[in-house]
Amino acid sequence: MATALVIGAGLAGLAAAIRLAQAGWQTTLASKGLGGLPLSAGTVDVLGYAPALLGDPTGRVARPFETAAALAAHDPSHPYAAIGADRAEAAVGWLRDLLPELLTGDLKTNITLPTAVGALRPTCLVQPAMAAGDLAQNRSLAIVGPSQLKDFSPELCAANLARQTWQGRPLLATAYRIDLPARPDEADSPALAYARSLDQTAYQRRFAEAVKRRLKDEEAVGLPAVLGLRDRQAWLEVQESVGRPVFEIPLPPPSVPGLRLNDALTAAAQTAGVRLVLGSSVIGFAAAGRRLKSVTLRQAGRDQAWAADAFVYAPGGFESGALSLDAAGRLEERVFQLPLRGAGGSRLGGQETAADLGRLINADYWAEQRLFAAGVAVDQAMRPLDEGEAVFDNLHIAGGLLAGAVRWSEKSGEGIAVGSAAAAADAITGRR
Amino acid sequence: MSGQDSYEHNLLARASLDHCVKCTICETQCPVAAVTALFPGPKYVGPQAERYRQGQSVDRSLDYCSSCGTCTLVCPQGVKIAELNSVARAAMKKDHMPLRDRLISRTTLMGAAMRPVAPLANAALACRPLRVLAEAAVGVHRDAAMPTAQRQTFTAWQAKHQPPDGAGRRGTLVYFHGCAGNYFEVETSIKSVELLEHLGYGVLVPKQGCCGLPLQSNGLFDTARAWVRRLVAQLDKAPQDLVIVSSTTSCSGMLKHEAREILGVEDAALRAVGARTRDLCEFLLAEAERGELPLDFAPLDLTVPYHAPCQLRGHGLGTPAVQLLRLIPGLTVVESGAVCCGIAGTYGLKKEKYAIAQAVGQPLFDKVKEVAGDLAVCDSETCRWQIEKACGVRAVHPVWLLHKAYGLS
Ligand SMILES: Cc1cc2nc3c(=O)[nH]c(=O)nc-3n(C[C@H](O)[C@H](O)[C@H](O)COP(=O)(O)OP(=O)(O)OC[C@H]3O[C@@H](n4cnc5c(N)ncnc54)[C@H](O)[C@@H]3O)c2cc1C
Ligand code: SF4
Ligand code: SF4
Repeated sequence: MATALVIGAGLAGLAAAIRLAQAGWQTTLASKGLGGLPLSAGTVDVLGYAPALLGDPTGRVARPFETAAALAAHDPSHPYAAIGADRAEAAVGWLRDLLPELLTGDLKTNITLPTAVGALRPTCLVQPAMAAGDLAQNRSLAIVGPSQLKDFSPELCAANLARQTWQGRPLLATAYRIDLPARPDEADSPALAYARSLDQTAYQRRFAEAVKRRLKDEEAVGLPAVLGLRDRQAWLEVQESVGRPVFEIPLPPPSVPGLRLNDALTAAAQTAGVRLVLGSSVIGFAAAGRRLKSVTLRQAGRDQAWAADAFVYAPGGFESGALSLDAAGRLEERVFQLPLRGAGGSRLGGQETAADLGRLINADYWAEQRLFAAGVAVDQAMRPLDEGEAVFDNLHIAGGLLAGAVRWSEKSGEGIAVGSAAAAADAITGRR
Repeated sequence: MSGQDSYEHNLLARASLDHCVKCTICETQCPVAAVTALFPGPKYVGPQAERYRQGQSVDRSLDYCSSCGTCTLVCPQGVKIAELNSVARAAMKKDHMPLRDRLISRTTLMGAAMRPVAPLANAALACRPLRVLAEAAVGVHRDAAMPTAQRQTFTAWQAKHQPPDGAGRRGTLVYFHGCAGNYFEVETSIKSVELLEHLGYGVLVPKQGCCGLPLQSNGLFDTARAWVRRLVAQLDKAPQDLVIVSSTTSCSGMLKHEAREILGVEDAALRAVGARTRDLCEFLLAEAERGELPLDFAPLDLTVPYHAPCQLRGHGLGTPAVQLLRLIPGLTVVESGAVCCGIAGTYGLKKEKYAIAQAVGQPLFDKVKEVAGDLAVCDSETCRWQIEKACGVRAVHPVWLLHKAYGLS
């Protein structure tokens, strides 16, 4: 049987591994640690903002894949150009259908949700527990949270929402607090402790009763995203007791919706027959010409060569240590020393001078940080390119390592991760 | 002890704490923090508290860490969280080590004392009034899982054992049985040797003592260092180019990485032995992948739950037993998906931690009861005892099923 090794356990690595295993490849996923999903909002961002392209100051994107196609045409170095907006859309649809209990959305239009600080955030797929927060329904909102949960301030969230308008109409939001620790006698309960308590039926009722008592005539109720970790129906139980639509508002890490997504994808990988090897880093490789023969895994006690027919490298970017920039200005991809490109396809890597760095890093925190568009340029099979030629024929890149997008500003990271994972897996298995 | 062994010099783990980006991923996966508010979690007692430690402890909640190693495994930044915790706990307990912790960490002593009086010892362990007394006197919980003493040790079996014809035609291996494998899990050791010989290997069993792991996890570092060094020297009595195969996954983990990463033992002999050591299933799966493992298995019409112990996952190999057992026709292997059984070596024996350990193991126990007829599979002996006690099933090492499928039992 043909063998594939996927490196990285983030959204990109998990999606690629599942897709390879489903196509009948004997697939191993090796990773030094968990990926970024437990830190994510648990939604799937495809494209949220494209101010340069749309020429509108908010730059907010309404139709994500349509705009991704326009972005790819406008900037051929953007990851969506190599992936293709159509392929990305099919891949995100595949992910949604893989996890019907956890992801919903029509793929055509972005849904706008309130964040924990009361900002408005466009995203493509949401968890069912968040769906009633869709501002297109523009109702009056109650924002409710327990006093013991320090990561969520209903007042901050509601006050910021109430300062904004949505599609020309003012938003109505009122803050309420309930007095209910996650565990008895706690003054400060972590979000995860709430989620675990809300896996219990009795606590779901107590929580819902406390919320219900505070409400006036608001139409929908925003709650911190802690409505059950394992019990995927917990939010429905709460909604039923509260008696009106409730929606979860994602919190800073640890993110309960992100953990749900991580758990569900890990389970799906196991079901598909993926062999998971956690706790071993890839530290090197062996190749013959353009053929990658094996990578070196650092396991307990020794380094082990791991051979495969095809490899997907999905190690994330700077945030996971796959890219590094040292004090001397040396920018590199750390395992294969792949050639790096920046925004607009500009050449990077090697020793950046102070002037180069000055262009890449902006002293104004909120301004564009071009450094974060650094990564690897790829062809349509997601193979890393050097001067237009694939560096290896059987190494494919997916996710945060791709060059050309500042994923968290654009809100494009998850669509890029899933789209490139599918493109890489399909190039390997020959599926179109 | 040489200076390089000391807590202050264990820089390997300490240096990693600056890599912590406070992402909280370790907090979400810690099985102990998930079930008790008494333990604030790995980030808190690990990289966070470590900044304030100068050889002494800032917070006693650290003692609730079970050393399962899950946090280190999941950390995407390479922080040696569990290792930091183990080192800090040893420093914290240094001046007031409970007698109980000194006793339960000496598996060889326990095994040697129990064996001559095996039926009596087993009866005593099953006798509730005696266990209640023991709980009060030494702090070992009355309901905690205990091993069953055997009349015959593995080494006694080995001394009389005649290898079958053909053993040795494919080369020679060194077998590392560990103390539990000598005194309690004798059957597992016998089956391992029989299986390797059936495959055509000659098996050498040099005289071997304890690797020191229970001492290490109870914070008795100096003795643990001496014991692991002694074991390395014993294993080195066999030719030093041979692969060492072990059916005791926690003790082989000690040789591969824990002695270095937790005890700070830095020497070439340990490194070389660690690099030559293979978990039994790791070894067999590699054989299978090279097309060298005979696949003439008799079908086993069975569905079994399989639990990958924390100690095995710490090897960074994935779960070789699953791939291996799936080669047996008719056998359905259901992965537990659980993080930890709770026992974590000797943690779950302690009266103040027993309830936490049971709560940690609950998701696993539920899964085992859901899937199992009367058999569960797990690579680590202490986890098997915990599963047996909690679920009322027989829990065996994967080698039992392979042994049977090859028609050896
Ligand atoms: C602070 C922050 C906020 C963000 N916000 C958003 C947002 O709002 N919307 C959005 O769309 N995107 C956002 N992103 C981008 C996010 O990174 C991507 O959306 C996406 O999660 C990337 O997934 P990935 O699978 O490519 O990488 P990751 O999730 O980072 O996974 C990388 C994996 O590779 C493993 N790994 C790395 N190197 C090695 C190695 N050498 N050997 C073995 N394993 C290795 C790691 O352990 C990890 O498991 C944000 C990123 C950051 C840092
Ligand atoms: S997982 Fe690692 S980086 Fe994240 S908080 Fe824990 S120790 Fe720090
Ligand atoms: S070793 Fe296990 S119990 Fe201890 S902090 Fe880490 S995950 Fe938690």
